[in-house]
Amino acid sequence: MSKKEKAGKVILILLGVAFIFVMLVLPLITVLIYALREGWRVFTAAVTDRYTVLALQLTLVATVSAVLFNTVFGLFSSWAITKFRFRGKQILTTLIDIPFAISPVIAGLVFILVFGRIGWANDFLQAHNIKIVFATPGIILATIFVTFPFISKELIPLMQSQGSDEEEAAALAGAGAFTIFRKITLPHIKWALLYGIILCTARAMGEFGAVSVVSGHLRGKTNTLPLHVEILFNEFHLTQAFAVSSILVVLAIIILILKNIVEHKGRKEVDEVVR
Amino acid sequence: MYVELKNISKEFGDFPALKNISFSIEKGKLVGLLGPSGSGKTTILRILAGLEQPDSGDIFINGKRVNDIPASRRGIGFVFQNYALFRYMNVFNNIAFGLEIQKKDKAFIKRRVGELIHLIGLEGFEKRYPHQLSGGQKQRVAFARALATNPDVLLLDEPFAAIDAKVRKELRVWLRETINKLKITSIFVTHDQDEAIEVADEIVIINHGVIEQKGSPVAIYQNPATPFAAQFIGHSILLDRYSELKGFDKFEGFEKAVIRPELVRLLKPGQQTHLDAVESGVVENVFFRGNLMEVHVNVKGMKIVAYHSTEDEPLHPGEPVGVLIYRLYLYNRNEVKLVNNSLLDEQTPLYLQGNHNKEKSWIACR
Repeated sequence: MSKKEKAGKVILILLGVAFIFVMLVLPLITVLIYALREGWRVFTAAVTDRYTVLALQLTLVATVSAVLFNTVFGLFSSWAITKFRFRGKQILTTLIDIPFAISPVIAGLVFILVFGRIGWANDFLQAHNIKIVFATPGIILATIFVTFPFISKELIPLMQSQGSDEEEAAALAGAGAFTIFRKITLPHIKWALLYGIILCTARAMGEFGAVSVVSGHLRGKTNTLPLHVEILFNEFHLTQAFAVSSILVVLAIIILILKNIVEHKGRKEVDEVVR
Repeated sequence: MYVELKNISKEFGDFPALKNISFSIEKGKLVGLLGPSGSGKTTILRILAGLEQPDSGDIFINGKRVNDIPASRRGIGFVFQNYALFRYMNVFNNIAFGLEIQKKDKAFIKRRVGELIHLIGLEGFEKRYPHQLSGGQKQRVAFARALATNPDVLLLDEPFAAIDAKVRKELRVWLRETINKLKITSIFVTHDQDEAIEVADEIVIINHGVIEQKGSPVAIYQNPATPFAAQFIGHSILLDRYSELKGFDKFEGFEKAVIRPELVRLLKPGQQTHLDAVESGVVENVFFRGNLMEVHVNVKGMKIVAYHSTEDEPLHPGEPVGVLIYRLYLYNRNEVKLVNNSLLDEQTPLYLQGNHNKEKSWIACR
C-alpha cells in the first residue's frame, strides 16, 4: 500500500468513527447523563412511576403481539413466495415492502380511516362493541403494520438460495408438510429467523409515528413508552423524559448484543455447513 | 410395460416444455433420457415423480394410473442433480429419513441403512455430514437414500453432472453395475451422449419437448431416425456440399449430410488402395487425444474430421492426405438417409478406428 492510499484509509476510518460518535454514541450518552442529572432518586422515581410502568407494559404487549404475528406471517409468506410458483408473486413481494416505503404516520391515519369513527368499519365495530382505535388493538395493529416486512425480508433471500430440492426430497420420502418444515427448512433458516425477530422487536419497541396517531395518548391506557417520553418532554419534565428514554436505550443495547450473538453464530454455521 | 407415459403435455407459462409425449419402459431396464438443456427431459422425470403435474396425459406405473397419487406414494426413489442431501443430517440420518417417516422400528432401520452403506462402500462415514463428503461420495449417499424405502422405480436427474471427469467414469460403471445387481427399473436424465450410450440399455432422445427417437444405443447410433438424432449422437460433422465428394451422388430432397470420424480413413500418399474412391485433402490440424489422433482435413473446402492411430506414421498440418469416406448420413428437415460410398465394392470391410466404447459397440453389432 502506498503512502497516499494509507492516508486515504486512515482518513476514511477516522471520518466513519467520528460520524458514528457524533451521530449515534454521543446522543446515547447524553440521554444517560441527562437522565441521571438530578440524581439516582429522581431517576428511579421516574422509571418506577405508575404511568411509566403501564407504558412499558403496553409497549411489551404490543411488541410481543406484533413479533408473534409477523413471525407467523413472515414464515408463511416466505414459504409461499420461495417454494411455489403462482401468478402475482412479484406483486405480493412488492406489497410486503409497503411499510418500508410509507411513512408510519400515514399508516396510523389509514387505521383511523378504516376503524375510527369516520371509518367504514365503524358501524360493525360499534354493533359488536369492539374498540380498535384509541385502544390496545389499534396500537398492536399499527405496530404490526410498521414491522411487517422485517422477518420475510430476512427469510426470502435465504430460502431462495436454498431452493426446494431438499424439501422435495423429503416430500418424496413421504414426509408431511410439518415434518418437512421442522426437520429440513427450520434448521436452515433458524438463525435468519431469529435475526429477523430481533430486528422486528427493536423496531416494534421504538415505534412512534403510527402508534401516536391511533393511540389517542390516554395516559396509563394507550400510552406506549415512546409516547410517554414525548408527553413528559412536552411538559418540560426533561429529566423524567430522559430517564424513561434510558429504559428504551437499555433495551436497545440488549437487543444489539443479542443481534450480534445471533449474527455471529449464524455466520459460523453457514460457513461450516453451506459448502 | 412397467412405466408408461401417454400423451403428456406440460407448459410453463407460455413455454411448451413437453408436447404430447408418449413412451414406455420395460421392467428392470435402465433408460437414459438424452437431450440438450431446456429440451424437457428433467420435466419428464419430475412429472413421473409427481413433483410436477402434467397439463394433460396419463402416467402409469406398474399398470396403475398414478396422476392423482401424491409423489410420496408412487414408490419412486429420486436422485437430485445436486444430490439435495439434508445438510443438517449426517449420512446415517440422510439414508434413514424415509424409513423413519414410515415409522419402521429402530433395529430394522439400523440394519437397512447398514446394508445400503455397505452397498455404496461408505462404511465408517455414517457420522459425516454432507459438507464433509466429496462429490462422488455425496452422489452415492443420495443414491442410497433414494433406495432406502425399496422403491419400484429409481429416477436420477443428471446423476454425474456435478462430478469431476475422472470420478465420473468410475461412478458410471459403478452405477450401471449396482442397478443391474438390484434389477430396479431406472430412468436417468443426461445431456451427455457418451454417458447415455455407456450407461443406458435404452435411450430416449428428446429435443424441444418432443421425442426424437427411442431405442438401444447401438440402434440409435447406427440408424438415427431424425436429423437431430444424427447430429446429437456421436461425433458428428456437418457437410453442406456432400455431392461433391467422390462416391456420393446428390439425393433429391437431401441438402445436407453428417459425417462421423470413425467412418473416414486417412491414407498417406502411396498406401492408397481404392484409388477411385479416395478424395485428396490437406491436413489442417492434428490433435492428440491420448489413444488416437484427431485430424482435421480440408477436402474441397469442407472440413472433415477423422481419427488416426498413434501407431501409424504421424500426420502433420499442411501435408496432403488421401481421404476415404465410407458412409454419410444424409438428412433434410424430417428424414435421415444412410448412404454408402458407391465406388467401394460391397465386400470392402468397414474400417473403423478408435477405441471409444461407442465405436466398440458399433463394431460389435455388425
